Amino acid sequence: MNDNGTQTAMNARPDLLAPASDLKRRYRTDKWFQRIGLGAIALSLAFIALLFFHIVREGHSAFVRTNIMLDIDFAEKHFVKENLAAADYTALVKHALTETFPEVVDRRDKRQLFSLLSSGAAYQLREMVLANPRLIGTRQQVWLPADDDVDMLQKGKIDRDLPEENRRINDRQLSWLDTLASQGRLETQFNTAFFTGGDSREPELAGVLGAVKGTMLTLVITLMLSFPVGVAAAIYLEEFAPQNRWTDLIEVNINNLAAVPSIIFGLLGLAVFINFFGLPRSTPIVGGLVLALLTLPTIIIAGRAALKSVPPSIREAALGIGASKMQTVVHHVLPLALPGMLTGTIIGMAHALGETAPLLMIGMVAFIADVPGSIGDPAAVLPVQIYLWADSPERGFTEKTSAAIIILLAFLMTMNSLAIYLRKRFEIKW
Amino acid sequence: MTEQTFPLYGGKAASLQERLGDASPQERKTVGTPFVDDPRMTCREVDVFYGGKQAISKVSIDIGRNQVLAMIGPSGCGKSTFLRCLNRMNDTVGACRVEGEIRLDGINIYDPTVDVVPLRARVGMVFQKPNPFPKSIYDNVAYGPRIHGLTKDKNELDEIVETSLHKAGLWEEVKDRLREPGTGLSGGQQQRLCIARAIAVSPEVILMDEPCSALDPIATAKVEELIAELRTQYSIVIVTHAMQQASRVSQRTAYFHLGDLIEVGPTERIFTNPRHKLTEDYITGRFG
Amino acid sequence: MNVSHLVAAAGLTILMAGPAMAARDYISIVGSSTVYPFSTVVAEQYGKSSGAKTPKIESTGTGGGFKLFCGGVGVDHPDISNASRAIKESEMKTCADNGVKEIVEVKIGYDGIVLANAKAAPEFKVSRKDIFLALAKEVPDPKDPAKLIANPYKTWKEVNAELPDSKIEVLGPPPTSGTRDAFVELVMEVGAEKIDSLKAMKKADAKAFAKVFQTVREDGAYVEAGENDNLIVQKLQANPKAMGIFGFSFLDQNADVIKGSVIDGKGPSYDAIADGSYPVSRPLFFYVKKAHVEVIPGIKGFLAEFTNDKAWGKDGYLADKGLIAMPDAERKKVAESVANLTPMAMK
Repeated sequence: MNDNGTQTAMNARPDLLAPASDLKRRYRTDKWFQRIGLGAIALSLAFIALLFFHIVREGHSAFVRTNIMLDIDFAEKHFVKENLAAADYTALVKHALTETFPEVVDRRDKRQLFSLLSSGAAYQLREMVLANPRLIGTRQQVWLPADDDVDMLQKGKIDRDLPEENRRINDRQLSWLDTLASQGRLETQFNTAFFTGGDSREPELAGVLGAVKGTMLTLVITLMLSFPVGVAAAIYLEEFAPQNRWTDLIEVNINNLAAVPSIIFGLLGLAVFINFFGLPRSTPIVGGLVLALLTLPTIIIAGRAALKSVPPSIREAALGIGASKMQTVVHHVLPLALPGMLTGTIIGMAHALGETAPLLMIGMVAFIADVPGSIGDPAAVLPVQIYLWADSPERGFTEKTSAAIIILLAFLMTMNSLAIYLRKRFEIKW
Repeated sequence: MTEQTFPLYGGKAASLQERLGDASPQERKTVGTPFVDDPRMTCREVDVFYGGKQAISKVSIDIGRNQVLAMIGPSGCGKSTFLRCLNRMNDTVGACRVEGEIRLDGINIYDPTVDVVPLRARVGMVFQKPNPFPKSIYDNVAYGPRIHGLTKDKNELDEIVETSLHKAGLWEEVKDRLREPGTGLSGGQQQRLCIARAIAVSPEVILMDEPCSALDPIATAKVEELIAELRTQYSIVIVTHAMQQASRVSQRTAYFHLGDLIEVGPTERIFTNPRHKLTEDYITGRFG
Repeated sequence: MNVSHLVAAAGLTILMAGPAMAARDYISIVGSSTVYPFSTVVAEQYGKSSGAKTPKIESTGTGGGFKLFCGGVGVDHPDISNASRAIKESEMKTCADNGVKEIVEVKIGYDGIVLANAKAAPEFKVSRKDIFLALAKEVPDPKDPAKLIANPYKTWKEVNAELPDSKIEVLGPPPTSGTRDAFVELVMEVGAEKIDSLKAMKKADAKAFAKVFQTVREDGAYVEAGENDNLIVQKLQANPKAMGIFGFSFLDQNADVIKGSVIDGKGPSYDAIADGSYPVSRPLFFYVKKAHVEVIPGIKGFLAEFTNDKAWGKDGYLADKGLIAMPDAERKKVAESVANLTPMAMK
């Protein structure tokens, strides 16, 4: 083959073995595009991994708590039979501590000694006695929560080697703690209180149950309102509404509503549900209503997209054998659109789960120590709890904040898995 | 079937004849024999508009009993649109407006008092692409009888399902897997399932919109065979692109061109001796 | 379809929830985020020791709290409002207009505002004038003091030759915060008054003067770090050159990692704030609606818990949380008026 021949052949037909340079450039662009996409995904995964790593590293220690074992003498002289709750349980704790450290006599020293234990210790003893009055007159070894400063020291978040005046635990307290530790009376144990308690201002006593329950109650209200209303609205707009200026206007408004800052919904909730309807502040019912408003646009938009994606042939098939419009929708279109609607609902609920701004307006950003029992009780929700703990001065709340974030993420993952399960169940294979 | 330009009317259609009286039948464009004795459905002066655009103009044709009427014509000629007028499927298209009269057993189906639900039960439809519901084979067939309340109990329903599948020639193939999804069948089986679904509600007329266009030749042959059998019990209107198919399955053929019904006649004659120039051009493959 | 059931159920729950809300069996408290950490501790102690429901405390800011508090009398309105300043006359008027005629004022102690930096960094000894010059958006021109110019100072040394030669970088609260209000009032205003040309300006045009000391520079030297003081503490640790502004309780809780600067010769110690010698401190209050005391269960108990020396005393648990206790005599006086529910004189 001579040069001339090759030249003409190349002009006539693209050479299979040596692609033209513009083709090479095209491939290079393709490759670059792929690399950029891959890079973006890798970067976001790296950030997520970093976030998880950071949160878990910060938060895992909140799942354990430093406890101190004391020999509590439930001597009968402390108790009045008629009113066990009124007994001076703090005295029991103090008595046990002075027994353990008989050498501490000075009033100031005693104060420092007593401050090693959490103020919750006395309440724990009260609960024990109320649950089992037969304890009175006995001597029990009881694990009691240590103060948050002790807990932080135990977890290495307070540096022992710092000069004394810079530590919240002084040298004497350190030596007492070392004694307790050498006697096997100081241990970090699983922190049940974190899962069974409501909010507290003492980090060692603070728990997420109140917030978790508040979140559940709120989300149940949100789901019960926004799902049926959202689905019904989506069906009406997609299947029944006439195509005219009004429906266009409604559609534009719904899309805009999805982008409205969430605090606006809080203001609306304050004006409508609290001031007009007189529903009580800080309760899951109001929170649920506000979040339902917030999620509705998301659910409607996702619902409409899901309905749109149902092939028209299915509608024709049903209409063709005489199903009414409603039958067509309910029997055929809705089951096919349901997985998509559920996805939209979960996205909306996840959105609602992370909101604090609208709840601020309706008084749900509040210190609420009692675990809510119903939708009419004041309650906090998880993101609010995180926000409040993050803003608390006590060092111990730093780990609690991360732990609450872990709980929130677990909550979110549970919700997502549920959604995936439901979607799989309702999904109709073609 | 007599070869006249204008038909003998049954008593019921008399008023219509009066209304059409001023337009001389000879001036009408349609050549051949659009009308038959004792028709199942009669269509007179049907106009269809999509928004401002006229898709069908002044179509008058009868649909005979126990025979297959094939509608042919180039793409966009309006044959499918016309077919969909026959059971008011065009109602679902908001911008679509139908004028003129389409009568089923003497009743104008476009009368405001007519309910589309029983109409569609009596005028069934099979679509271009097989579209079984994503449900079991059994439920596909049983759906129509269920919503129309045709059966008293489960046994009757079972019977209808079995008969319909028999009639659709599908029973032997699916009797052991009635609970499996209808979407798992092959394309040809799916289309026959759709036919079974349509006949389960005992329609009088079955409309078929290019029922074989998505099927392979073997499946097509089966469906065509089925159409021939069904003719004994139902009136069938079929829209098709394949002229071979029209000649194989139909007794009468109507040729549509740009929204006009150009020529109607016995299939054999249309294919051997078309009277209108356009029909001839189409059949001989000059366009289409 | 289940949808209709769900709607019905939702409707029903709303209706059923109605009657349960008619009465309120817990105390509702709103107001200052500065008082919040103290109020919540008392609430928790009260709830635990009495067995009654724990009061609900919202952190709405002092102004927001009074707005809710003065909304009227009845279970829909809060019983107590926390405040990091005394109630204003205009707020008292709103209260009175809405039927809230009798209010009991409870002063609970003091809070100091500190300028702090990392433990590792050198100690700062500044005057309020220095702080003003470092943080105000416009300062008098050193060449022509009558003229205001955009703040030219980049380092502390430029402000005052005795200060270290480090970049001015202060993390502080945003304008929505009560801490910022107090900082502006106690530091910036006083600092501005120390400058002769501005002092003259105050006499001539108080409004223009107010604008000068209230406007904090926006060129990056002052960083609004949000309401989260913990974040500021963390940032200070990471950046030893930076200074932070926050409440004393955060310094108290984090004394191992940050230290307070000496302002006008006094360091922010508990004692210095308590005896009033530390210049940047303010009293904290809460206000009780007298009409609610007999209606909402537990208000008296809560007041008793709060005004107990075990809580607000020098060695009380509130002191552990960073509240600066009042002198004994003052505490006794306030406790007495609380016990008698002596309302404030309404102007």
